[in-house]
Amino acid sequence: MKQKAYFPFTAIVGQEKMKRALILNLINPALGGVLIKGEKGTAKSTAVRALTQVMPERREVRDCQFSCDPDDKSCQCDDCREKEEHEIVMRRMRVVDLPVSATEDRVVGTLDIEKALTTGEKHFEPGILAEANRNILYIDEINLLDDHVVDVILDSAAMGVNNVEREGVSFSHPARFVLVGTMNPEEGDLRPQLLDRFGLVADIRGETDIEMRTEVVKRCLEYESDPDKFLEKWQPEQDKLCRRISKAHELLGKVTCSDDILRLAAEISVSLGVDGHRADIAMIKTAMTNAAYEGRISVVNDDMKLAAELVLPHRMRRKPFEEQRLDIDSVFEMIESRDVT
Amino acid sequence: MNGYTFPFTAVAGQDRVKLALILNAIDPAIGGVLISGEKGTAKSTLVRGLASASGKRVTELPLNVTEDRLVGTLDLSCAVKDGERHFESGLLYEADGNFLYVDEVNLLSAHISNILTEAVSTGENIVQRDGISYRHPCRFALVGTMNPEEGSLRPQLLDRFGLFVNARSETDIEVRTEIIRRRLEYENDPTMFLRKCRDKEEALAERISAASERLDDISVPDGIVQLIALTASRSCCEGNRCELILAETARALCAWRGGTEVNADDVSEAAKFVLPHRMRNDTSVEVSESSGSSQDTSDEENYDNERSENDISENEQTGSSTDKPENRQDNTESAGRELPLSADGIKTDKKKNGGSGKRSRCVTNELTGRYVRSRIPTGKCCDIALIPTLCGAALHQQQRTPLEGMSIAVRSSDLRCKIREKHTGATILFVVDASGSMGAKRRMRAVKGAVRGLLSEAYRKRDRVGVVAFRGEDAQVLLSITSSPELARRCMDELPTGGKTPLAAGIAAAGELLRAERIRMPDALQYLILISDGKANVPLDGTDPFGDALSAAERIGAAPIGTMVLDTENSYIRFGFAKKIAERMGAEYIRLDEVTGSAVEENVLGFVGKNIV
Repeated sequence: MKQKAYFPFTAIVGQEKMKRALILNLINPALGGVLIKGEKGTAKSTAVRALTQVMPERREVRDCQFSCDPDDKSCQCDDCREKEEHEIVMRRMRVVDLPVSATEDRVVGTLDIEKALTTGEKHFEPGILAEANRNILYIDEINLLDDHVVDVILDSAAMGVNNVEREGVSFSHPARFVLVGTMNPEEGDLRPQLLDRFGLVADIRGETDIEMRTEVVKRCLEYESDPDKFLEKWQPEQDKLCRRISKAHELLGKVTCSDDILRLAAEISVSLGVDGHRADIAMIKTAMTNAAYEGRISVVNDDMKLAAELVLPHRMRRKPFEEQRLDIDSVFEMIESRDVT
Repeated sequence: MNGYTFPFTAVAGQDRVKLALILNAIDPAIGGVLISGEKGTAKSTLVRGLASASGKRVTELPLNVTEDRLVGTLDLSCAVKDGERHFESGLLYEADGNFLYVDEVNLLSAHISNILTEAVSTGENIVQRDGISYRHPCRFALVGTMNPEEGSLRPQLLDRFGLFVNARSETDIEVRTEIIRRRLEYENDPTMFLRKCRDKEEALAERISAASERLDDISVPDGIVQLIALTASRSCCEGNRCELILAETARALCAWRGGTEVNADDVSEAAKFVLPHRMRNDTSVEVSESSGSSQDTSDEENYDNERSENDISENEQTGSSTDKPENRQDNTESAGRELPLSADGIKTDKKKNGGSGKRSRCVTNELTGRYVRSRIPTGKCCDIALIPTLCGAALHQQQRTPLEGMSIAVRSSDLRCKIREKHTGATILFVVDASGSMGAKRRMRAVKGAVRGLLSEAYRKRDRVGVVAFRGEDAQVLLSITSSPELARRCMDELPTGGKTPLAAGIAAAGELLRAERIRMPDALQYLILISDGKANVPLDGTDPFGDALSAAERIGAAPIGTMVLDTENSYIRFGFAKKIAERMGAEYIRLDEVTGSAVEENVLGFVGKNIV
């Protein structure tokens, strides 16, 4: 099947924070996903769907429902783990959609009705979470999702495992996915517990710069009049980004982080009074991934600043009806005040 | 499928959580532990890590478990193929003699939670369903984790947990740094990391099993027994379960430290784990220690109600007085010191909550919501629960012949349909008089304050709030029904007042808004709060302003909407218009002497809490 054409990722004008957050998650799927908050029409969905074309290829067990990694026994499904040898295919990561109307059964998987009726046996029919393993799970308007569906997604996201004990079936399979959600904050908030599970949050606004806005319109018109030609024109940029991501992925294992930086992350979290320890860990991992993306093997101040901007805002304790503004300047000062490089 | 878990011993800090879990591993009779704490404090990590440290299995109970998988059911394939009835065991069977772990236990559906409560208290699972009659012992240590921000736990389930412990983030920079360091190391190479930790893990497992073996040899002197009884009675805990668990815990503590005789320190240490969640009222420590007076004991065993109303009334009582959310910080700090008898986590959420998810957890007829169990349908069945249906059919297979290609013959009499549960919030619509009189500005400010208060907790209660204001010639939707504090802030930034009083238009507009909302969210409970002095002077379309208002009120009264009128009339001569509107609407009528945000919010919460449909 020919892949559906999407607006090229690299052709999206502006929205650098969102783009960077998405790219970092491709490089390091352990970052814990991105929540993109913004008004309508700010290229949120376009960007997520466009990711497909810049995603690196990776090894997969052929015909495995869960796209298992042949090289990592620790998170394979039961079938793959039992086998010594695997047939391997190279595939790109995929974007798996979870529509807001999805029922719990479709999300976690359910009983295979046909088998039950014809053979009287109970078999598990995998759902969206199975498909999402090692891929991107994309939820548009995540704040409108039913609470109980959110709960199970949370659960799987936290454990990396989907545990099903429903309708006579008992089954569990790996479900490690990059959770990408978009929401328009005017339509209601997410519960803080869910917010915290997102590694990064990118707040976006429509570009206000006239030049930029003009460019947006120009490119959209160009794309619509002849998509193929537009894609072709942007292909070199796309390839470049793709290569850069692959390289960063390889480099990531070599990136180191000084003790001083670790301590800095802890101090920032304590001074802001964020709940729990996820912020510290996410900050460091984001900084390391950004370093890899920039082609460096050690974390510098700029990495920490970017990480702080993406990791902290949504973890601030909220005070109702006040702008939950993170005083990012004071955080930057903390970072600047130490010569960590 | 079980992936790697982060090793128990490699978790930095969280010593009290660790100790609570270890004590349960030493002596399962303690009956489990409830770990309450903010997000991201390694609660779940520790519980999952317990398996390798204790040598016991940790059976996980997913939130979306269905009844059949929890208690067990008819073995379907056996029934179909051989026509025999066999029991297919569920999670309760698997958990027997082990740990049963429920993550986010406060989000468990009411029905599953009841089954669990019953199983824990009887130590036995009795299955009478789908033509199966079976019973087996199920004694397990129940381990739950919860984030109190997400809502409180059903009180009946609460005191089934042997111990209670609060998890907080570490504040020491060194410890925090160490936490990051270890996490990075683990993610970088889990296999290597696990190998590095193996010695420590084994040492812990050995120490636990040694302590466990020594348990029976540990003596409990008479004086200590008395101390235990005294401690329990002073803290106003009911029943004797408290004493027993206190004794077990103290003994396990003694075994853990390598002692041979339980001493007073063991008891006071144990009390910190055992007492916090058992103290009935959330009165302060001083009261419970000094008086030991009898407390409200009515709600011990009635867990048959779906919505647990006791809980709510209990909350309302304590509502306004002592600890406002802001005080929580101080609370937390003091509890960190030596205050064995306080459970700040529980305390605050119990009261702040006003019934949290519970007030709004209802069985729904919609096809959405979480499927928890099945029933025999009354009327047409369009939401078939397949497995129960097949189980029903399987019992009759000897007398039937299946269609070709099918292994089982199903008749309409076998059909079972799903019962679903869903959380829905309340929809609260304010209709406020913004017209001319002096009071308008005050009323608007009060509404703004109330909306702010209600929405600040909305993510937890799933409440949605809207505001309709009327002034001049018409009514205006100031804030369409929303749960977003952000949106509310923006929409209610400017509140124009002045002009005439089109009361009828206001009521009618509110009715329209709520009707549309009922179509979108049929499960939500709706409330209309009218804030006005009732002095209408603009008619809807005729010539009688007040008459129009009355008939608009009557139409509201006929709709499934809970209504309340807050009368703001405060002149010397009272006309009582608002009261008449209220009567026609069938509304609760309250005269507000003081028009402030908190007064409005309090009245609304009280009203909504009381009027659960």
